[in-house]
Amino acid sequence: MVATAPQTAVRRRRRKPRESDTPTVGRSKTGTAVANTVGVLFAIVMFFPVYWVVNTAFKPAPEILQFEPTFFPHTFTLDNFKSAFNAPFFQQDLLNGVIITCGAVVGALLVGFLAALAIARFRFYGRKSIILVVLSVQMVPFVAILIPLFLMLQKVDLTNSLLGITLVYIVLILPYTVWTLRGFIQAIPRELDEAALIDGASRFQVFWKIILPLTGPGLVATSVYGFIQAWNEFIIINTLNDQAHQNLMAWLLQNQTSRGTFWGPLMAGSILTALPVVIFFLIIQRNIATGLTAGAVKG
Amino acid sequence: MSVVDSPSAPPAQQPPARVPAGGRARRKRRSATSGGFAPLVLTLPALLLLAGLLGYPLVRMVVLSFQSLGLRQLFGDLPATDVGLDNYTKIFTDETFYLVVARTVGFTVVSVLATVLLGLGVALLMRRVAAGVRIAMIVAMMFVWAMPQLVATQTFRWLVDSDFGVLNYLIDLLPGVDFANHSWFADPIQGWTVITTIVVWAGIPFIAITLNAGLTQVPKELLEAAVVDGASAWQTLRSVTLPILKPLMIIVTTLSVIWNFGLFTQVWVVRNGRPEDEYQVLATWAYSTAFKNNNYGLGSAIAVVTVLLLLGVMAFYMRQMFKIGDVD
Amino acid sequence: MKRRIAVAATLAATLIGAAACGSNSDSSDTPDAAASVNGAGKTIKVWLMVDAQSGWPEVVKQANERFTQATGAQVQVDYQQWTDHLAKLDTTLAGSDVPDVVELGNTEMPKYVFNGAFAPLDKSQFENSAQWLTGLSAPCELDGKTYCVPYYAGARVLLYRTDLFSKAGLTAPKTYDDVISAAKALKQKNGSDKQFSAFYMPGKYWYAAMAWVHGNGGEIAKKDGDKWVGALSEPGAQTGLTKWAELAKTYSSGDPTKDENDQDAVYAQGKSGMLYGNGWELGAVQEQPKDPNDPASAKVKTKVNGKVATAPMPGIPSFLGGSDVAVTAKSTNADLAAKWAQIFTDAKSQEGLIAKGVLPNATSLLDKAAAIKGNEATAQAAKETWFVPMAPKWSDVESANVLQNMLASIATGKATVPDAAKAADAKINEILNAS
Repeated sequence: MVATAPQTAVRRRRRKPRESDTPTVGRSKTGTAVANTVGVLFAIVMFFPVYWVVNTAFKPAPEILQFEPTFFPHTFTLDNFKSAFNAPFFQQDLLNGVIITCGAVVGALLVGFLAALAIARFRFYGRKSIILVVLSVQMVPFVAILIPLFLMLQKVDLTNSLLGITLVYIVLILPYTVWTLRGFIQAIPRELDEAALIDGASRFQVFWKIILPLTGPGLVATSVYGFIQAWNEFIIINTLNDQAHQNLMAWLLQNQTSRGTFWGPLMAGSILTALPVVIFFLIIQRNIATGLTAGAVKG
Repeated sequence: MSVVDSPSAPPAQQPPARVPAGGRARRKRRSATSGGFAPLVLTLPALLLLAGLLGYPLVRMVVLSFQSLGLRQLFGDLPATDVGLDNYTKIFTDETFYLVVARTVGFTVVSVLATVLLGLGVALLMRRVAAGVRIAMIVAMMFVWAMPQLVATQTFRWLVDSDFGVLNYLIDLLPGVDFANHSWFADPIQGWTVITTIVVWAGIPFIAITLNAGLTQVPKELLEAAVVDGASAWQTLRSVTLPILKPLMIIVTTLSVIWNFGLFTQVWVVRNGRPEDEYQVLATWAYSTAFKNNNYGLGSAIAVVTVLLLLGVMAFYMRQMFKIGDVD
Repeated sequence: MKRRIAVAATLAATLIGAAACGSNSDSSDTPDAAASVNGAGKTIKVWLMVDAQSGWPEVVKQANERFTQATGAQVQVDYQQWTDHLAKLDTTLAGSDVPDVVELGNTEMPKYVFNGAFAPLDKSQFENSAQWLTGLSAPCELDGKTYCVPYYAGARVLLYRTDLFSKAGLTAPKTYDDVISAAKALKQKNGSDKQFSAFYMPGKYWYAAMAWVHGNGGEIAKKDGDKWVGALSEPGAQTGLTKWAELAKTYSSGDPTKDENDQDAVYAQGKSGMLYGNGWELGAVQEQPKDPNDPASAKVKTKVNGKVATAPMPGIPSFLGGSDVAVTAKSTNADLAAKWAQIFTDAKSQEGLIAKGVLPNATSLLDKAAAIKGNEATAQAAKETWFVPMAPKWSDVESANVLQNMLASIATGKATVPDAAKAADAKINEILNAS
């Protein structure tokens, strides 16, 4: 890097410092140009597969299955989306997915919030061990537990059902929910609790009227994350449930048949399936991004 | 349980978010109450669920690893038979096991190194480029980050399809290169390159954005002072930036190791549910043994070994979390 | 308990009524297709593979209608995918809410029969059972009892491009050497296009490679006393594999790690001369459905429409593919299920299948099948076929991809034929003899 008048570059900065502020000391024009080019190339390469999904989804089958791929659909068609939407089990799996995911998120929020309350607001025997359990449990590869889980659920007739998989998904997203809500609840000053208690409120009222509303953003963040996790999951549901009880992500696998893979409907179906996830993700990412740099995600 | 999906937002929040919280919470601890029965009642539902659907299967998994259970028992509702250490003997005397472990470890090392180094590079790049370019990079990464694992894997499967994939077409355009109908999975090295690319591609956004956030915590005055003192870019990076980033980097690296060690989806989908021997890793091997060969006891034993192998890394992660002060 | 009593009672009644015919079911657990059960208000669950949905939905419809007329019970058909139906079956059969009738590929049957998934049936209650194709009925037999019923068969033939052949002055090959010289001639004429395959042969196409093995006097595995022994290293098998490898490496520019699932799509691109495929692939390469998910979808003509014909593959016996249907042991409507299976596989249903260009389940019906245009070669091929080793663990060999991996390593040049075969034999021994 060629140093060019460092002092003047520094002194030029007068406006309010922003997150994107970076020291421009010692930066060269060519260095920045190179960096910009690399950055653009990086963005293109990263985005290429996403673009290719969309490109393929709007092409008719004959155009997809040809030796020379086209970079823009020569024949623009919505057939793949229609095919995916009307495919066997698509709509049923969509409904299943919505039921299971919402059920799991609500369940995890309920159970998780209570547990987070306990961990954040009380000191009790076994508290540290519970925290340990919550942390460590996130690390066990779920595929490993799949075997006994399948055998266990099959014995109590919870396989091939929506209830069984919903319970499993609650457990899947519970540790993260408890952990994050704990952080949010801890950020609420105890003085609020104490003030209310002094004013004659019961513990329950404190939780219900003070802590719960203030945990709002935390509930939103964890429910969105839980939604994404449950919506995207397909290995467990594919192993535990029969065809009538799959979710949309597992439906995508139906497009791989012994007559080849149906790329068009698969890409179109992928877009439909990923859409809620992408939308939710982009919504909370804004909050996460601000939260990251501000140093706290609370409130 | 991020093995089941791409590493997404949550862990990113935790490290930087917690430092101030820990301090505040510590101050408040003096006035915390021990509420008698209330905390136990509150945690009961969570504990029940975790114990029932996580704890019990874990125990059952260990028990099952000492038993033999096949289709006949399942179809006939018969109990499993005890075989003692037979499953483990089978595993440890099988050459396949050591190959699979070596492959899993090798993949984890390569993929984590690639992801973290590239992620760091991208994060540094983001600090360097013009605002417009940075936004383009962030938008691209957001879409990649949001893409579900299965969709990403299917997409790459389509990109590298030997007959109709666009990658072969593009490479074939290079003069003197014959890539038409090239199979990316005939040679396991190339196949693993594809699989690793999928994992690294999907993992970069999380690392890059997390480290980028960490980089903003590096005091500008320090950086400017270093340059004024005549330090080169590389020296600045090594002596100023990296030490400050170190705790964050350790956390994301550890998490990546844990997630990548449990690699399943990408291999499974890319080999159409039937990975060849050279593509088996611990998670897929356990799954195939249990659900394809219907040898549930042996599959459980492999799963137990996988968890044990990860225990060391998991313990390390916990220690780091406690050190940073996330847990009081 | 109640079911056993009911079945026994019905059986007794049938026995008395059929004493003159001499029927002789001795197992009290054998579902009785001839029993007159009132199925009003009941629904039986049937698992069929997707081929029926897209290929011959009318056959299923007429069988269901006749069944409902005869018993008053309804039928719910669930169509399964070949890629994951076994895993689904395992999950479902381990529980209690099981389907009543299940269709499985004939090579998949032995494993489930052996593990007690299905109920024994009375062979005499099924039409044409004396002339059942062995490839379909052998997997059903265990310890003298019959556990499933042949449904339909498929045989593989040579598909070739009539236009490319006439341009090169060739006629349909009559011997194996003819095939090779035709491939050579096609390669000479069209070899400048590096995507052209004189004979498209995917590397993992084990049904093809094993057909070459059998055509040269070899076999996959044989029984030596109590044990199974892999036979791929024997001279006959080695000759067959070498010939197959030569064909694949010299005349096919296909992906050596792909199996035959995509071969129709590739052939339809128009850059291949010959193909080894099932009879129904003749239609699949010439027409593709506009909407692959819709069985009633309109068809779109491909580049090779009207330019493809079939001929029996000379010198290479075809694998007898096909499916059987079985009644599950845990079924709560066993008699109804057996009745449905009986109707679904009787002569009338077989007629419907034949009309759709599918091979029937009995040798006596093969000539009728040969009369259908485009089916002559396939019906001919079904007369001399080979089958996989009748071992209970055979489908484990299939799901472990032993043959596919062996072939891929040969086709990619990673291993020589003798080495790859030796490794595969070792694996086969291990899997087939595992306890």
